[in-house]
Amino acid sequence: MSQRGPRAGAGTLAGSGKSLSASGLRKTYAGVVAVDEVSMEIEAGEFVTFLGSSGSGKTTTLMMIAGFVEPDAGVIKVGDRDVTRLAPQKRGLGFVFQQYLLFPHMTVAENIAFPLQLRGLSKAEIRRQVGQVLEMAGLTGYGRRRPRELSGGQQQRVALCRALVYRPPVILMDEPLGALDKKLRDQLQTEIKNIQRELGLTVIYVTHDQEEALVLSDRIAVMRDGRIDQFDTPRELFERPRTAFVADFLGAANFLSGRLEEHTAEHTLVRLDHGGILMARSHSYAPGHRVQAAVQPGRVGLCAPADGFCTGTVETVTYVGTLVRVGVRPHGAESLVRLELPAGRAPVAGEQVGLTAEAGDVTLFAEESG
Amino acid sequence: MAGSVLAPVPTSAAPTAKGRLRRSLRSRRTRSGLLNGAPIVVYLLVLFVYPILSTLLLSVKGARGGLTLHWYADALSGANLGVLLTTLRISAETSLISVVIGFLLAYAMSRLRPLWAGLMMLIVVVPHFISALVRTYGWIILLGDHGVVNGLLVDLHVPGAPFQLLYNEIGVIIGTTSVMLPYTVLLLYAVMRGVDRRLLAAAASMGAGRLVTFRRVYLPLVAPGLVNAAVLSFILCLGYYLTPALMGGTKQTVVAALIDDQVMKQNQWNGAAALGVILLLLTFAGLSLLRLARAIGANARQRGAA
Repeated sequence: MSQRGPRAGAGTLAGSGKSLSASGLRKTYAGVVAVDEVSMEIEAGEFVTFLGSSGSGKTTTLMMIAGFVEPDAGVIKVGDRDVTRLAPQKRGLGFVFQQYLLFPHMTVAENIAFPLQLRGLSKAEIRRQVGQVLEMAGLTGYGRRRPRELSGGQQQRVALCRALVYRPPVILMDEPLGALDKKLRDQLQTEIKNIQRELGLTVIYVTHDQEEALVLSDRIAVMRDGRIDQFDTPRELFERPRTAFVADFLGAANFLSGRLEEHTAEHTLVRLDHGGILMARSHSYAPGHRVQAAVQPGRVGLCAPADGFCTGTVETVTYVGTLVRVGVRPHGAESLVRLELPAGRAPVAGEQVGLTAEAGDVTLFAEESG
Repeated sequence: MAGSVLAPVPTSAAPTAKGRLRRSLRSRRTRSGLLNGAPIVVYLLVLFVYPILSTLLLSVKGARGGLTLHWYADALSGANLGVLLTTLRISAETSLISVVIGFLLAYAMSRLRPLWAGLMMLIVVVPHFISALVRTYGWIILLGDHGVVNGLLVDLHVPGAPFQLLYNEIGVIIGTTSVMLPYTVLLLYAVMRGVDRRLLAAAASMGAGRLVTFRRVYLPLVAPGLVNAAVLSFILCLGYYLTPALMGGTKQTVVAALIDDQVMKQNQWNGAAALGVILLLLTFAGLSLLRLARAIGANARQRGAA
């Protein structure tokens, strides 16, 4: 049923997304801070993901935007409208739940018609719009089925239809693909992204899966301990992580500790703990400062021993498709430096190698005390 | 037992019914099944099928032998018909009121914390453990002209007090409803606990207010429980004897009381048997009503989908 080219009905549904802003959101549960000082501006038609592990406050933030959780402080605006103290049903947003939550006593068509009936549309109009979104989701002919007769992926498609059929200004999604298997998840990610882009929907998406966040999002808010560590495009998060946590969480970066030697306008020199000098992009830390240098596995290269910023022994070589994952142990170090190389340039285990990295790919973070 | 599960099923098509029967009797599964089922079959035959059949027989037996429908004609005419209609009316009223009150109680319980819900459940169910006679006399003490309830109403200068709360239909309904309440509450509580409350949140996220969510989502989800509870208390009420007899007046004579009267006072077993069969048929009618309601519900949903 999936069709290429312009989707049916995209015309009348398009352009419904509005901007959303949150400022100073805060929520505590029995004295424990769940969300603290969360502020963000989301533009109309933007796909934003809250990324974080469980307990990072991503779901609580989403629930505050939806209206299911009342913030202790802060303001939420949809477009120009302050919705902070409104009940969920008065906000007019769309919500897609992880558990689908289709009404079991209604058919697929009735489920999708429900929000339209609430808005007082005529029967003919409802039938037309329901048919339209079903066609868009590749579910034509499923209208009379019951939710329990559908597979998980189909149910979530219906839930998605139900959330966007009434053109809400912002659609919130709480790990909508969390209950599905990998293959289906990949497929639905593409569908969600396509629909979002074509209809210009504003979507706020919650997930703990970095890959999913990277595939879908225009911008990602990386959350930790109830705060936003960094809110940026995927590219920026990779290239210029602002905290060690972001570098680790998104890119699984290598961390090398050392002491700052000197810095110039173009670059910074770091003396690593296990010998060697690493050139990093320029930072303003004072010489002598303890730092962590972060490099993504894909940005570390091999060279002749003694030519690189450190020398080590190749310990592990694992083929992953067209890539090779290599683990190199620098002399005197406890942990491996992980590399990702094209399959053709794989070293062999036991080989002595040097490691190199472009200064622009190395980010420094102040070493965290404790 | 494990062996019987694994017993091979005859593969060749049976040529005749007789052959099929013989072969199936030879199979270990059938034999052990018959052996295991025998006690319950005997039990049902002796204590269930035989009494019902003999009652049926009794109800069509003429005074001088032979078959007659005389007793049924008797049961369905004059004062007896009035008693039958009274029974139906009282049962319907009781079922309606106990479902409404049961709904409110069960809903409150499903919203309370487990501890409080448990306590409330205890309060609803415990009266059921007390002897019906004691409980009924308890009501009589409470509801009498100089009872606790009327005493309080008089003290509060409620206009019209004291009210006649006993030996009329109000008394009967209060009594029977209190008996049926545990059933309806337990049934509805189970159904309500099964309702995924996140569905209500989903409805709210689409813009449905509390009233619409209740009517369009919550009520349809608990409706099967409501119908079950109503039919159950209706059926239970049909054969109820003690409460109407003790708390009602002459206008509240029910079929069960009539049967008692015919057997104990008039030694009229045939008429009593006919009334018993009518009650049984009414029970079946109630059950088929339940199935009908379900079928109509399913049909309506089908049509709504079209």
